[in-house]
Amino acid sequence: MMMVASIFKYQPMGLHGWGIHDAFALAPRSCTNFEMFFSMRFASCNTRHHKLHGLHASISHASVFHPTSLSLSHHLSSKKLLSTQLAILKITCIPEWCSAISGCSDFVCFIAEAESTLILIRHGESLWNEKNLFTGCCDVPLTKRGVEEAIEAGKRISYIPVDIIFTSVLIRAQMTAMLAMTQHHQKKVPIIIHNESEQATTWTQVYSEKTIEQSIPVVTAWQLNERMYGELQGLNKQETAERYGKEKVHEWRRSFDIPPPKGESLEMCSQRAVAYFKDFIEPQLKSGKHVMIAAHGNSLRSIIMYLDRLTSQEVTNLELSTGIPLLYIFKEGKFISRGSPVGPTEAGVYAYTQSLAVYRQELDENV
Amino acid sequence: MAATGMYNQAIGGFQSNSHINKINHQHKFNNFVSLVTKDFINSYCLSRRDCSVIQSLASQTSVTDTVSSPLRSKTRDSDTHKKSNESALILIRHGESLWNEKNLFTGCVDVPLSKKGIDEAIEAGKRISSIPVDLIFTSALIRAQMTAMLAMTQHRRKKVPIIMHNESKQAREWSQVFSEDTKKQSIPVIAAWQLNERMYGELQGLNKQETADRYGKEQVHEWRRSYDTPPPNGESLEMCAERAVAYFRDQIEPQLLCGKNVMISAHGNSLRSIIMYLDKLTSQEVISLELSTGIPMLYIFKEGRFIRRGSPIGPTEAGVYAYTKRLALYRQRLDDMFH
Repeated sequence: MMMVASIFKYQPMGLHGWGIHDAFALAPRSCTNFEMFFSMRFASCNTRHHKLHGLHASISHASVFHPTSLSLSHHLSSKKLLSTQLAILKITCIPEWCSAISGCSDFVCFIAEAESTLILIRHGESLWNEKNLFTGCCDVPLTKRGVEEAIEAGKRISYIPVDIIFTSVLIRAQMTAMLAMTQHHQKKVPIIIHNESEQATTWTQVYSEKTIEQSIPVVTAWQLNERMYGELQGLNKQETAERYGKEKVHEWRRSFDIPPPKGESLEMCSQRAVAYFKDFIEPQLKSGKHVMIAAHGNSLRSIIMYLDRLTSQEVTNLELSTGIPLLYIFKEGKFISRGSPVGPTEAGVYAYTQSLAVYRQELDENV
Repeated sequence: MAATGMYNQAIGGFQSNSHINKINHQHKFNNFVSLVTKDFINSYCLSRRDCSVIQSLASQTSVTDTVSSPLRSKTRDSDTHKKSNESALILIRHGESLWNEKNLFTGCVDVPLSKKGIDEAIEAGKRISSIPVDLIFTSALIRAQMTAMLAMTQHRRKKVPIIMHNESKQAREWSQVFSEDTKKQSIPVIAAWQLNERMYGELQGLNKQETADRYGKEQVHEWRRSYDTPPPNGESLEMCAERAVAYFRDQIEPQLLCGKNVMISAHGNSLRSIIMYLDKLTSQEVISLELSTGIPMLYIFKEGRFIRRGSPIGPTEAGVYAYTKRLALYRQRLDDMFH
């Protein structure tokens, strides 16, 4: 316990503030990227499991300070990988978890079936949507209706595991995420990570491992912002049509690569959104973390274009409902679209995958 | 009557028998005209004026800044200035957060509201739904920002809060608004870390029970309730007050001075600090000051002084609604607009 505490104190600051929740230890068999595993900086908590009740299989930060990590090569077989991982877990993990791990024979099959969920939520109605104004990157909040949509969306995903949340820097997406998570059955607490300055990082530090383990980091990124609409921002849709002509406006709104004056085209928006997804979000999924992204129409379409391999023609016709979350399963490097989780009033057998069904069962039992 | 006196002053500038003109804000008409600039932020001085006639007047005047302070306006028309120099200041402490629920020390950790906190914000919004708001200040933490945004969904005036982004050149450019009309219908929201909750250092994230076990009850009590003893690596209330009040004086008070109605959505300790300044409390008094969550507090800023007006009544509380004539008239105008 003491070792964990001292490691925590020295953890490097960086992208994830107090360094929470990078790759989870038990990488899928197909994953050979050891570096990813050891680049973790702090205890990650992955609640996805079959029969390991209440096991928060976390490992404490191992990378920079742990003696064995640096000597491991990329070419270990998965069996050796497992035993090494277990060894590290035993050395560095919190005592009460160790006994659970060493005694469990289901551990291995757990690794083999690694899959993670990806939830995409488009925020609901904003105050400028209501007024029919072009919003883009203007930071306008939700209406009462948008608030309700967020809560409804939350009910739909209340049984789907979430380990880490990504949002844009705009309040309507952040509020959507926070409102949705108030409905979640798992009682973990989202915490927004602050990295804007050294002071922000130090001031937001958490000093209890137990609390960190019960937290879901929320990472905000401008790359997930709505498409920037340039000189149309704040303009009434009617007056814009009058000023520039209907066809021109239609072209800006619906083409793939034509930006409004001083703004972004859908192509430009995709570029930065998908790059961010590949660099920062996909690695989380690869390491088994369950991710939720709360963002905007255009940034989400861009990501879906990547997930579903759509053409630019197809993506311009893609309309995402607000407040209806979309679920993807990430498995063996592939994204499988699973539609929308059923609403609370919709009949249907709840089962997306076995592990999700088991997860839900556990939540029911714990409550 | 102060109110009608002001009406006549204001209406004198243009002729209209429009319904809206009759029920007018009595603010510094002169200041209003002079503050017509192209600058995005400055244009918010105008946002209190709701009638379209005034808007057209504004667009006709040139970009000048002849009267930029209360003192100068005094020379022009001291009566107008005295009667109109009154602004509302609303303080809202956010409601229950997810860590309050779990009884953990929160400090500056950015934890969102619980379901109860959301309801509290909406209730608070109903209480202030008829009090003018021109400008909003919040802390950098989501629970205060959400409280402000949720509260404003209840506001009858239907102006749109917009969060200002200054963190980088790109942020500023990307969040630009290109319609004057829209700007006038907007309420800028400024997020400031100086309004954050007191930073609780090494207690952040700790369970209140385990902290008492670890450090001893008296020590923890001292940190929580003393004025100048900080927890390890944290802030004392005094330190918190220093940065919160400095921010208030530098950034918020000038806005009140120029007649803007301000709302501050923040935290227990940063608001106590500000109240300590507004009410001139001693450090002893401020330690015992407890602010209810979700119950907004109203101050009237007039002639350089802060007059405490308690809490606006809840929607179910009986009572004659009238804090000042100006506020009563504002509310009446809203009633007329929407009924």
